[in-house]
Amino acid sequence: MIRPRWRKVFHDLIGNFSRTALVVVSIAVGVFSIGVIIGAYVIISDDMSASYAANNPMNIELRTDPFDEDLLSTIEHMRGVEDAEGRRVFTMRVRTGEDGQWVTLNIVAVDDFSELNINRLNVISGTNQPADDQILLEKKALADLQVAEGDTLEVELLDGTIKSMTVAGIVQDPATGAGDFLAQPFAYVTTGSLSFLGQPETFNRMFVTLTEGKNDEVVLRNMGGTVRDKIEKSGVTVYIMRATKTNEHPMASTVQAVLGILLALGVLILFLSSSLIANTLSALLSQHLRHIGVMKLVGARRSQILQMYFALILAFGVIALLIAVPLGGQGAYALADFIAEKINFNLMGYRIVPFAFIVQIIVGLAVPLLAGLVPVLNGSRTTVLRALTGDTGQDEKKPVAGPAPSESAFERFETRTAHALGRRGIHIPRPLLISLRNTFRRKGRLALTLFTLTMAGAIFVAVFNVQVSLHDYIDQIGNYFIADVTLDFDRYYRLNEIENMAMQVPGVVDVEGWAYATAEVLYPDGSVADTLTVLAPPADSHLVSPLLIEGRWLQPGDEQAITIGEGILSKFPDLHAGDTLRLSINNREDDWLVVGIFKFVNQQGTIAYSTYEYISRQAHAANRSFSYRIVTEQHDPAYQQQMGATLDAYFRDRGFRVSQARTGQSTLEVASESLDILVTFLLIMALLTALVGSIGLTGTMGMNVLERTREIGVMRSIGAVDKEIMRTVMVEGMVIGGISWLLGALLSFPFTYLLSYIISTAIFESSISVHFTLSGFIIWLLVVLLLSAVASVLPARNAARLTIREVLAYE
Amino acid sequence: MTRQPAPSRAASRAIQTPAAEAVIQMQKVVKTFKNAAGEFTVLKGIDLTLMRGEFVAIVGKSGSGKSTLLNMITGIDHPTGGKVVINGLNIYEMNESQRSLWRGKNLGIVFQFFQLLPMLTLLENVMLPMDYVGMYEFDERPKRAMELLAMVGLETQAHKLPSAVSTGQQQSAAIARSLATDPPIICADEPTGNLDSRSADAIIGLFDHLVASGKTIAMVTHDPSLTERTSRTIVISDGELIDETVAHCLPLLGHRQMLEATHMVEHITYRASTPILQQGEHVDYFFMVTSGAVEVVLCNRRKEFTVARLGPGQFFGEVELMRGGQSIASVRAASEGPAELAALPREGFNRLVENSSITGEALGKIVQLRLAENRTADRRQSKRGKK
Repeated sequence: MIRPRWRKVFHDLIGNFSRTALVVVSIAVGVFSIGVIIGAYVIISDDMSASYAANNPMNIELRTDPFDEDLLSTIEHMRGVEDAEGRRVFTMRVRTGEDGQWVTLNIVAVDDFSELNINRLNVISGTNQPADDQILLEKKALADLQVAEGDTLEVELLDGTIKSMTVAGIVQDPATGAGDFLAQPFAYVTTGSLSFLGQPETFNRMFVTLTEGKNDEVVLRNMGGTVRDKIEKSGVTVYIMRATKTNEHPMASTVQAVLGILLALGVLILFLSSSLIANTLSALLSQHLRHIGVMKLVGARRSQILQMYFALILAFGVIALLIAVPLGGQGAYALADFIAEKINFNLMGYRIVPFAFIVQIIVGLAVPLLAGLVPVLNGSRTTVLRALTGDTGQDEKKPVAGPAPSESAFERFETRTAHALGRRGIHIPRPLLISLRNTFRRKGRLALTLFTLTMAGAIFVAVFNVQVSLHDYIDQIGNYFIADVTLDFDRYYRLNEIENMAMQVPGVVDVEGWAYATAEVLYPDGSVADTLTVLAPPADSHLVSPLLIEGRWLQPGDEQAITIGEGILSKFPDLHAGDTLRLSINNREDDWLVVGIFKFVNQQGTIAYSTYEYISRQAHAANRSFSYRIVTEQHDPAYQQQMGATLDAYFRDRGFRVSQARTGQSTLEVASESLDILVTFLLIMALLTALVGSIGLTGTMGMNVLERTREIGVMRSIGAVDKEIMRTVMVEGMVIGGISWLLGALLSFPFTYLLSYIISTAIFESSISVHFTLSGFIIWLLVVLLLSAVASVLPARNAARLTIREVLAYE
Repeated sequence: MTRQPAPSRAASRAIQTPAAEAVIQMQKVVKTFKNAAGEFTVLKGIDLTLMRGEFVAIVGKSGSGKSTLLNMITGIDHPTGGKVVINGLNIYEMNESQRSLWRGKNLGIVFQFFQLLPMLTLLENVMLPMDYVGMYEFDERPKRAMELLAMVGLETQAHKLPSAVSTGQQQSAAIARSLATDPPIICADEPTGNLDSRSADAIIGLFDHLVASGKTIAMVTHDPSLTERTSRTIVISDGELIDETVAHCLPLLGHRQMLEATHMVEHITYRASTPILQQGEHVDYFFMVTSGAVEVVLCNRRKEFTVARLGPGQFFGEVELMRGGQSIASVRAASEGPAELAALPREGFNRLVENSSITGEALGKIVQLRLAENRTADRRQSKRGKK
């Protein structure tokens, strides 16, 4: 037979459903968040890189001038090179039919799909072996193109001709473009299709894998330099060289940094839920004081009381674990799957993460025990006399004859304030006074509730501020892309020819031809520190409005001078304006003067600016360019879109080989979308925190109402109608919400700085300037008031439903 | 001797006072509680009428149902059967919320544990009912509340929290609060139960003052000393009201015995000057005067002379029942009006006296006294006759 005291524990567990539910939910929310985040963290860490490595990703990627099989063969036979494959990568516009929108794709031409060994493709549907008039689509392209295997796509050639290709299959390419959030979707054709598509049958991209040192940064960098030198020695210019590890997804560090932030929030939620548990358990113990008194009266020792209540707490924990662990596992996989989908890698199937499982169990049992320690110890310490007389040292004690106890300083402050206001003719209605003063009666409980709601509010508001800061940063990056339309050609054209023609298009205000170069930044020992993309606008260009950290912008007459993005500081922390950097451009090493350092997203390697005049001369392409920046009369996205199409058609019609016309906004939109995914995650976490906060508030209000049922009866007995009782409770809840909003708003400032710093350094490798938005504060005010009202409604309704006899039950 | 059919107790009360003066009327009020052990009836068909301006004490042992009875009047609890009409309004036809508002306007309640809201000052506590029921202009409320506090001697403590004043002062403040909306009825549940005797005395003094100003007060108490200061005492036992005449005439009986007597008594009304007992007649009842008066007459040599006049709460017949034998005097209704009597049959009387030795002793002393008075009166009349 079960012993009576354990029967009591069992009864305490199941006898009061709402209280058990409150404690269990409080624990479960924390355990769930931790489970989701740790589980997702582990799954992503394991699968992201494993999935990436499974497709044999390139170790070195080289974007070059056209080359042929011979060069490929040479590279393949280099020492340390395992394999080398060539591709032709070009952009093309496709649409589903005459009514379809044009979508720009990165077309990758592969020589022989059956021998494709680097950056292998996973078949999702159809085949990965297209015929010459067929095309494979990377699954990301499906977001813009509603097609399936067997459908026909219209492809626009550079001369404006439209050809049809059949979609042979949908594939996944986890490696190509893996490090580039902003890349256009990919599609794949055979090299046999190149002539059909009006493209030369040469390669312009080389993927190389190494025999050893695949995961060694130094080996990769050195081999990258060696291969690059080899290619350039054969007369082929290399524009970009990237070296990447096999077993590490290029986005791994970014994703892990983001998960790290989520983990921090998860720990915070756990912390908040533990304060909630402490609150509930403390109320439970105060309700059980009489039971404890009776048990002690009949011989229970303190240790036995402790055992009983710790057993009760453990039982709460076990129930919470039963709910939260399976849900956490599902949530972890769902989160990992979402991220995998966005980053384009595959998970290795649903599984339970043992580490997350163990952490959840520890957290689910230890946190409630720790949170309940103080209330349980205090409860068990109570004397029989105190317990049985109900003298809890709080405000529910019955009056007894004798000298009056005095008011506390806070109470004196409250009453004197109201009195002083009254003397000035400002009388606060008594029902409102009750709500206001009730708010501060249980200061410990109030503090815990406020803490939870304040943290939720601070995170919520901070997330909004961070979102604005990130978008503002993206907008600032727009300062480097002021052009409304960028018109890229397939070959060089003379500046004045393009300028004259473009200026004839109505709406065009200005045209600038830019030059480009790639450079390697060298350490003093000659090893490659970083790859640099050098953009070269005219020295007097108005199309760059840089955010300089130090130094100055380029001036006419600057030669062998650059301004460089702050990303370089990670490699050269002591670099300042006026210093020199050794750069290797086109196999020529020189010291370049750094005239300024500017802020920029470091997403795709470091960028630098030099003058068009100098760079084009060095490239033997003076007064010529293949990329033109065009400013139009209006700058809204719709107008830009329209002008892009007009210019595209205009030049194509006149026989120019237009590669693509990009609008100024499009790049920024893609960037913003990527950031919005992150912000959405943060917002979900903030809402989860808010949920914990509102559960806390519901619990607090429920406990308050429970403890004040006698007072509610008194209010009823002197004329308070249902509405008044409900209002008294709800106003108290909303006052707590209001105070938490104020504190949360204040705390959101440091939180914003902290969160911005962590996120921007994780994503951009540099800190961003912080901006604040009123909308976060206002939305949170509305949310917290709504949450407070909702959290108070149930206790308020319960309060209004109580009959006076129940609450005053004095017979 | 004319014996009329015994009217019900309620009807007899109706005869005594006009219905227009009744402020609280309870009709066949039953209250049954249910729990796992079954049903338990706390009030068993209570009929009770309270008049305007009465100061009524409701007494009874713990668990007798006195607080439940008060809860029925205040609308705090629901009766299982019957109805409660206050100032012509059946209060249980309203819902809980409407009843709260009605209560705030019509009834002041004073609790044993004062029940002042701890977060409000005394002044604010007194103003609170005015806020809830919307009585008096907003700016006038502090002034009125202060007047009420002054009336109970708390004007200097007005801005203190309840926790900062003595328990007696808290109860005074609770009384001030009960008067906030100037209700005609005050219900008090053990208002002095938690006070020292000096404070209790002050509180009852306040109640006296309120009754004098026209309020009706119903007060639950188990302090017998307080019943001496009220105008009427209602005794409740096992959920039933004890006949007030029985309680008054046989105060030394236990409450259960009083209830037994209540069940046994017959109420008889005699017209003015109607004979009730004839001297020398066999007596089978113990008579208690409920209302009106009776005259005790001795017949000596065909002459009658009145030896005593008995009013409400007095009784006769005990000498014959306790000593045996025939009536030692004649008794008739007084000439100025009808007399209502509660008649307790011999068998029941004897059982009660046997079971309550102190009642027997007290009645025995009264019998000796009466016999002595009779002998003295007889001798006096004999001397007068000889002269």
